Amino acid sequence: MQFLEQVLNGITLGSIYALIAIGYTMVYGVIGMINFAHGEVYMVGAFVGLIVMTILSSLGATLIPVYLIAMFLAAILVTSVLGWSIERIAYRPLRGKHRLIPLISAIGMSFFLQNFMQLSQGPRPFAVKQLITGSFVFSDTFSISYMQLLIPATTLVFMIVFTYFISKTKLGIACRATEQDRRMANLLGINTDSIISVIFVVGAALAAVAGVLVSLYYGTVRDTMGFVIGIKAFTAAVLGGIGSIPGAVLGGFVLGFSESFASAYIGGDYKDVVSFGLLMLILLVLPSGLLGKAEIQKV
Amino acid sequence: MLLRVIKALSSVLIITYTFLPTAFASSTIKIAIVGPITGPVAQYGKMQMDGAVMAVEQINLKGGVNGKKLEAVLLDDVCEPKQAVAVANKVVSNGISFVVGHLCSGSTQPASDIYEEEGVLMITPASTNPDITQRDFELVFRTIGLDTQQGSVAGKYIVDNVKPKKVAVIHDKQQYGQGIAQAVKKYLESNNVNVVLFEGVSKGSNDFSALISKIKGLGVDFIYYGGYHPELGLILRQAKEKGLKSQFMGPEGVGNKDISAIAGKASEGLLVTLPADFTTDPANANLVAAFKNKKQDSSGPFVMPSYSAVQVIADTIAKTKSEDPFEIAKAMRSSNYNTPIGKVAFKQNGDLKEFKFVVYTWHADGTKTEATIK
Repeated sequence: MQFLEQVLNGITLGSIYALIAIGYTMVYGVIGMINFAHGEVYMVGAFVGLIVMTILSSLGATLIPVYLIAMFLAAILVTSVLGWSIERIAYRPLRGKHRLIPLISAIGMSFFLQNFMQLSQGPRPFAVKQLITGSFVFSDTFSISYMQLLIPATTLVFMIVFTYFISKTKLGIACRATEQDRRMANLLGINTDSIISVIFVVGAALAAVAGVLVSLYYGTVRDTMGFVIGIKAFTAAVLGGIGSIPGAVLGGFVLGFSESFASAYIGGDYKDVVSFGLLMLILLVLPSGLLGKAEIQKV
Repeated sequence: MLLRVIKALSSVLIITYTFLPTAFASSTIKIAIVGPITGPVAQYGKMQMDGAVMAVEQINLKGGVNGKKLEAVLLDDVCEPKQAVAVANKVVSNGISFVVGHLCSGSTQPASDIYEEEGVLMITPASTNPDITQRDFELVFRTIGLDTQQGSVAGKYIVDNVKPKKVAVIHDKQQYGQGIAQAVKKYLESNNVNVVLFEGVSKGSNDFSALISKIKGLGVDFIYYGGYHPELGLILRQAKEKGLKSQFMGPEGVGNKDISAIAGKASEGLLVTLPADFTTDPANANLVAAFKNKKQDSSGPFVMPSYSAVQVIADTIAKTKSEDPFEIAKAMRSSNYNTPIGKVAFKQNGDLKEFKFVVYTWHADGTKTEATIK
C-alpha cells in the first residue's frame, strides 16, 4: 500500500517538475541558452497567487473555483509580462554575443528577482491558507488527498492546451520553425524576435501554474523557493533531452519517481544522491538525454 | 612611476582602513550582536537582537560601564556557516572584543574557532549543540541549555507520559537538529523504546510526502523532529493531509508562532520543549513592561538569554575594570550573576551550571500551555 502512495507522490512531484522543465527546454531549443531566472519566475508566480488569495479572502470570497481561477489567471498574467520583460532587458541586447554572456546575465537576473522579492516581501516563509482539504481514505496506509489529485489534473489540462498551441496554431508552428532553424524561419518571413518573446511568455506562464500549485500543496511561499526547484527542473529537462518538449515532461516524471522511491526504499538522506546519480547514469548511456536528438555537426 | 604611486597610495589606504576602527574603539565599548537578521529563521534573530539591544539601552541609561557607553553592533549571518565565518572576521578586523551570538549552532561552531584564536569573547544566547563547549576553549560561553539536556527532558517526557510503541526520529541534517535528534534517540533507546526510523530531510526542501508515506507504512505512533519550524510546519501539514495521526514533538527551534501559520490546525497538540518562561517570573515584571513599551514580544525563547549575555559582559567589565577578553573570561568563571534568566554561574567549559527546559503543548492559534504530566 505504501507503494501505491509513493507512486502518487512521484506523479505529483513529476507534474510540477514537468511544468517548469518545459520553460527551460523551449528557451534552450530556440536560443541555445539556459534561462537561469526561470526558477525565480516560478517563485514570483507563487507570490502573485498568494497575494490574490489574500485579497480575495479579505473581500470575503468563499467559492473555491473562484479562488483557483483568479489565482491562476493573475499569476499567469503577471509572470507573462515578467517573462517578456526579462527577455527584452537581459537577453535580447546580448543576442549574437558569445553564449556565456547571456548566461551571466541570466544568473544576474535570477539574483535580482530573488533579492527584489526578499526586500519587498520580507525574508521569511509565508503561510498559504489551505484551500482544498480532505482526502479519499482507502486504508490506514493508503489515502489520496484532493490536492494530490488536483495537481496532476491541472497539469494535464495545461499540457493539453499547450500541446494544442504548439502543434496546431500558427504561432505554435512558427515557434517550432524558429526552434528548428532560426535563420531559415527568418528568411521565410517569421519575425523570430517576437517568436522568442512568445516562448519566454509561454514558459513563464507554465512556471506560474506550477508556482500556484506548489504554494497550495505545500502551504508556504518564500523568496528562495525558486532555486532548488529550478535546478531540479533543469535536471529534468537535461534528463529528457534538452530542447525536446516531450522529453522535458518525461524527464520531470522520471525525476519525481526516482525521488519518491529513493526516499521510501533507500532513505530520505540519499534522495538527491540517488536521483542525481541516475541522471549521470542516463547521460553516460544516452548523452543527449532520453528523447533528445543527437546533434550532428556537419563539416 | 605611475604604478609605484598607485602601490604606495593603496598601501596607505590599507593601513588606514585596518587601524581606523581601532582608533575610535576606545570611546565606547562595542558589543557585536550576531545572528540571522534575514533568512528563513530571522524571527529567532529578532528575539536575540531585541533582547540584547534592550540590555544595552538599559545599561546605558544607568550611565554605561566604567563611564563608557555600550554600543550594539548588529551583524547578519543568515544562520549560514559560510556567512558566519565572514562576519566573525569582520568583528575581528573592526577591533570588537565582545560578541553576543551566534544563533544557529552550525554558525556558532566555525565562528567560535575564529573568536578563540583572535581573542574575542563570545557568549551565544541560543546555540544548544554540546560540541560548541567541548573543545577546551577559553573565550566561548553560552547563556542557554544544551541539546543533551533538552533531549533528555524530551526523552523523559516521552517515556513517562506518551509511552509510544514505535518512534520515528527525523532531523534536518544540520548541527542543531541532528544533535538534538541523536540525544533524544539515545535516551529513548536506553529506555527500551523502539526507534524504527532515524532519518534526515533536506533543509529548505518542501516535499515530505515520500517520508510521510513511509512513516505511515511503518505504523509509527510518535515522531520526534530535530530542527526548525519551516520544515516541521510543512511536515505537520502534509502529514495531516495524508491522514497520519501520530503525535509529533520538537525542540525550541520549532516553538514559534509561524509554525501555526504554516501548519494551521495541524499544529494543534504538538509537543515542544522550551526554556522555562522567564516572563512570568515576578522579578522580570519591569523588564517585560519595558519590552511591551517598545511593542516587542519578550516571551520568545532567546530574548532573555540574549539580555542576560549582554548583562554578564557589562557586569564583569564593571567588576574587573578591564576590557581584556581573557581577564573577563577568567572572572566570568568565578562569578555569580543575577539576570532575567535567574542565577547565572558558568562551568569551566563555558556552559551554564543550571538551565531549565519545560515541555509545552502547542495550539493552533500559536499559543502554548504546559503539557500535562501523568
